[in-house]
Amino acid sequence: MPVDTLSTRLTGLRGFYRAGYQSVLAYRADLLFGIVGLVIQATLTVVVWRVLFTGHDQVAGIGSATAVAYAVLAACLQAVVMPWQFSSLPLRVMRGQIGVDMIRPRSLISQNLAQAGGTMVGRLPLGAAGLVTGLALGAVKAPHSVLDLLVSVVSMALGVANILTINLLVSMTAFWTLEIGGIMILYRFGSAFLSGALIPLWFMPEWLQPIISWLPFQAQIYAPLSIWFGTRHGADLVGTLALQLAWVMVLFLLLQLVWRRAVHRVVVLGG
Amino acid sequence: MIIEVADLTKDFSRPDVRPGRFAGTRSLFTRARKVTRAVDGISFQIDDGELIGFLGPNGAGKSTTIKMLTGILVPTSGTVTVAGQVPWRDRRRNARTIGAVFGQRTQLWYDLPLRNSFEIIRDLYSMDPATYRTRLGEFTELLDLDEFIDTPVRSLSLGQRMRGDLVAAMLYAPRILYLDEPTVGLDVVAKGKIREFVAEINAGRGTTVILTTHDMDDVERLCRRVVIIDHGKILYEGDVGMLKAQYVTSRDVVVHCTDFDATTISSPFAQVVSADTFKATLRFDPEVTAAPKVVHDLTSRYPITDLSLLEPDLEDVIRQLYTERTPVPARGTGA
Repeated sequence: MPVDTLSTRLTGLRGFYRAGYQSVLAYRADLLFGIVGLVIQATLTVVVWRVLFTGHDQVAGIGSATAVAYAVLAACLQAVVMPWQFSSLPLRVMRGQIGVDMIRPRSLISQNLAQAGGTMVGRLPLGAAGLVTGLALGAVKAPHSVLDLLVSVVSMALGVANILTINLLVSMTAFWTLEIGGIMILYRFGSAFLSGALIPLWFMPEWLQPIISWLPFQAQIYAPLSIWFGTRHGADLVGTLALQLAWVMVLFLLLQLVWRRAVHRVVVLGG
Repeated sequence: MIIEVADLTKDFSRPDVRPGRFAGTRSLFTRARKVTRAVDGISFQIDDGELIGFLGPNGAGKSTTIKMLTGILVPTSGTVTVAGQVPWRDRRRNARTIGAVFGQRTQLWYDLPLRNSFEIIRDLYSMDPATYRTRLGEFTELLDLDEFIDTPVRSLSLGQRMRGDLVAAMLYAPRILYLDEPTVGLDVVAKGKIREFVAEINAGRGTTVILTTHDMDDVERLCRRVVIIDHGKILYEGDVGMLKAQYVTSRDVVVHCTDFDATTISSPFAQVVSADTFKATLRFDPEVTAAPKVVHDLTSRYPITDLSLLEPDLEDVIRQLYTERTPVPARGTGA
């Protein structure tokens, strides 16, 4: 009987991670359509934002080129990390599959996070297709320096951790209400708007900006992209990363707490 | 003792909605809850290496008990120890000790080929590659997985999927295997394969098996001891043979003849329960007259072409037990 060491833990999670990306690759046609869809979306995004900026050099201090590039990158990121579709948890709770998950030698949280991580990696080709389209149309520009690139990649990783955790947290309401369609719609709309995936936070009304900037959602897409475009320096940059990290830690703790409550509520449905 | 259950109780509570006007709307606000007791203070023990049948009608509390034994549900009160651990308290360690097949649900990955599911399980239980290959090879042969191991689970037939699930539960060689209705909905051949496999892993590998089923053939072929529960309480715990002996107070003998009218048949040791020209069924009490005596009496006096003694039917016994719903004192090898 293997002892629970770091290596057995990682091997166990590798299994779920593989399950995640293999499940995406199992539906090749779907992936292919997704790629085509993103090429179209990236193209339209570039065209529409360029039209919007006609006659304006800058809006809210942001130049046309930056705004267009932001929109394309946000669309790519959103396609890869698609925060509201990852967790199969609500469906598994509803179908009673959750019982099977609970007799695995890894915690339900790590199973879900590892599998969602795998799904995300499986969807990387979508983001790549959007990025290539953006580059081909001359709409996406690289960060000012290699350092900016590296820091924004770190920030993206924190953003992804944030998305996966919040997503699982929202999914866990299924233990209380079973049908979480309504909550998911609210979450989907809220996160798309508040994360800056639809509209960069630069363009939000001034009274709303300070509120949004403290919420966990802005850490998902707006924070890494604002670093990419070099709009953050010094203390602001460090503060952004620190806030992202703090949110990940808080959300992860919250996840543990919610799961501890949920476990007592498990009623495996249907015999 | 590998499993010890003492005074195990599980209550479920749900909002108590009284029917009537605006029942749906009221259900959103009601704080009243209705408590149902699914398992009501049961105790039993299971020995290492046993193959035990866990029976009961629908809604008896079988699955709830199994879910507490596997650590999925937290009991309301009472204790359970499985291989020295409290299953719901140390869920992860318990997971390495047990395997489970729930007939109605699968642990396989729906979108992926069966082989990928096995590889995920290999990773999950940190199996070394050589052991994995050997064991998968053995199981593939035992259950004829070859023809569908590379097919996505969603395309498998129920029988194939169930065989896949059994392998998934046994790959990492758990000490205990829970089987919750593993043969439900399967054809005779698939049932046979699964029973063969279960018998093999119990006798050949010493795995303790807890089998929940409604199929009395499963029980007769596999289990020596059964625990029968209903309304959350134990009705019977003990030997299958003893259960039959207690309930079956009469046995039937069927005779066939061509040279005389079977309706004229009679015996001092048995009563005719039905008869037509070519066939008669007689019933006798085995406690009073031994079967060979009845057979000898009939064959010596009549030119009989064929004769068969009917085995007591477990299905009838269980039906009677479920209908009467009174606990039977354990006899035989039960704990």
